[in-house]
Amino acid sequence: MRSGTVLRNICALVALVLVSSLHIARAEPYFAVREGLKCASCHFNPAGGGMRNAFGNGWAQSALPARRIEGTGTDAWTGVLSSFVALGGNLRANATYTDVPNADATSEFELQELRAYLAISAVPDRLAVYIDQRIAPGGSQNLEAFARYTTKDQRWNVQAGQFYLPYGLRIEDDEAYIRQVTGINFATPDRGVQVGYESAQWSAQLAVSNGTASGPEPDEGKQVSLRAEHVQNVWRFGAGFNNNHTDAGDRQMQGVFAGVRTGPIAWLAEADYLTDETLGPVERKQWVGLIEANWLVGKGQNLKLTAEVFEPDTDVDEDEQNRYSLVWEYVPFQFVQLRVGARIYDGIPQNDLQNRKIYFAQVNGFF
Amino acid sequence: MRKAKLLALCTTCALAACAGDGSGLDENGRPEGESSGTLQPDFQSIQDNVFTPVCTGCHAGAAAPLGLRLEEGASYALLVNAPSVEAPSLQRVQPSNPDASYLIQKLAGTAAVGARMPLNQPALPAETIAVIRQWIADGAANNTAVGGSAKVRFELVELTAVSPESDEVVPGPVRDVVVASNVELDASLLQSSLIALRASGGDGNFDSGNERVVPVDATVRSDQPTVLAITPRLAPLSADSYELHISGTDPVAMADLQARPIDGDGDGAPGGDFVLRFTVEMTQ
Repeated sequence: MRSGTVLRNICALVALVLVSSLHIARAEPYFAVREGLKCASCHFNPAGGGMRNAFGNGWAQSALPARRIEGTGTDAWTGVLSSFVALGGNLRANATYTDVPNADATSEFELQELRAYLAISAVPDRLAVYIDQRIAPGGSQNLEAFARYTTKDQRWNVQAGQFYLPYGLRIEDDEAYIRQVTGINFATPDRGVQVGYESAQWSAQLAVSNGTASGPEPDEGKQVSLRAEHVQNVWRFGAGFNNNHTDAGDRQMQGVFAGVRTGPIAWLAEADYLTDETLGPVERKQWVGLIEANWLVGKGQNLKLTAEVFEPDTDVDEDEQNRYSLVWEYVPFQFVQLRVGARIYDGIPQNDLQNRKIYFAQVNGFF
Repeated sequence: MRKAKLLALCTTCALAACAGDGSGLDENGRPEGESSGTLQPDFQSIQDNVFTPVCTGCHAGAAAPLGLRLEEGASYALLVNAPSVEAPSLQRVQPSNPDASYLIQKLAGTAAVGARMPLNQPALPAETIAVIRQWIADGAANNTAVGGSAKVRFELVELTAVSPESDEVVPGPVRDVVVASNVELDASLLQSSLIALRASGGDGNFDSGNERVVPVDATVRSDQPTVLAITPRLAPLSADSYELHISGTDPVAMADLQARPIDGDGDGAPGGDFVLRFTVEMTQ
């Protein structure tokens, strides 16, 4: 009886949020593709990542896990402490086994991250300050800290401070080529201003930042990042552009990304073309690509198969690298995700590291 | 459902291009015979192509961030087997273990503390980081001309102050004093009391009677040539003037594996004490 009450509360909360068209949750892009929701609207940050909003927490307790476990009360966590304050957090702990050819294998337990999120809305839905702080391991580090103003119709917003740059698919794996090679990932927030646009089927952000990954700015050059996405129920398509102008030269990226749902499988794809004047005497041209299939095995279970390609220099033959991942993700109950997977690197034979294999298990706690 | 699974598997694998076979390329994926400036997985190449042109804009001199100087002559001693200041449980470079090396974490942007390096420029390309990883995985050897080669024979055993340098004023706190030799020293001598560190007592004078001895531990960070880290046992060095004294004379002298004592006083003959004076200033 109590379980049913809690579930009804959550469903009511989800419905309320949906109807009022507030931020919609997305823990990973494939969730959004699977649910047919807008990518940019499940986190406080319009481009995703970081703190989940009330719907995100409600969805994570009802639709995502294999089952629910019950506490002693009937209240359900939403992250929203009041109209003015919201909290959230993430913890990832890993066990990793790495096998590099011609070297001894290594295994390691590690705390990947413990992060806390705080949003203070001085004027609910209109004016807010947001903080994303990594607490562990090591010392505390600020990842995002910005103030955001949103227009009354919720279509336009502008934020200033330090934030993740908008570009491409914001997938969780920072080691993916589309995240590592582009340099746009959860480790490289930057300082600047961003203007965002949200409508029922469009999400777009334009950011101008220092281009120094939140370091000090030594020159007048700035980084411009643009991301636009059109979302339909079954498919979505987007494009991104990024130019970082520095005294050392320009680095420019342009790419497209997409998602589509075919039965139980949610597909993601992204391709980026990079030109970089900072790598040597001549401009270097690179490609990165990703295609990912997320198969809904059962309630709370996802099987993720990813293939990636990295072309380090289009003017050099036979230097391409691939990376394949097979990851099983299981959410046994709300707020806990278990991940077990393997990542196989496939590069040129004379480089051992380009041919390493990584096997890992991860516990991801989130609220 | 089965069709969908097969479709996912086949399509995903089919869309991924084959990896290069590496023909005509070196281990960094660059064409063989490309200009000599091509980065190679050895320390001299990394110094020439990464540390010197990219990193020393900030990481140089007495005020190098976190005491990490990456100019030639200092970088190896301050990287290899040197604990990170930001994450003391990690070494900046742990030979044969790039994943546990803080340098790689900082370059890849996966470090737990601070921003990705290099701060003032775009992130290093993935292949550059891969080359540095390769150097570390290969054992992080020192092949610089300053004494990295074991085949080089030096007539004199010399010591060089890496950080701080002689008579230098450095921001505090200072966690260790790093001294490098041009050869491999006899590490067993570190058990004796031939290394002493004194603080001036605040007056910058070392013969006024108010000096105090700073207990230290000496460890070998790397050899061939030897890099010594002299670490205050109780707390990092705060504002004061300091004098480090390494004996090069009897009864116990620092010496190499052939029992040749150091030329500590730089007079061109074996023997003589090595003396390093420096000043720590607290900036905050």
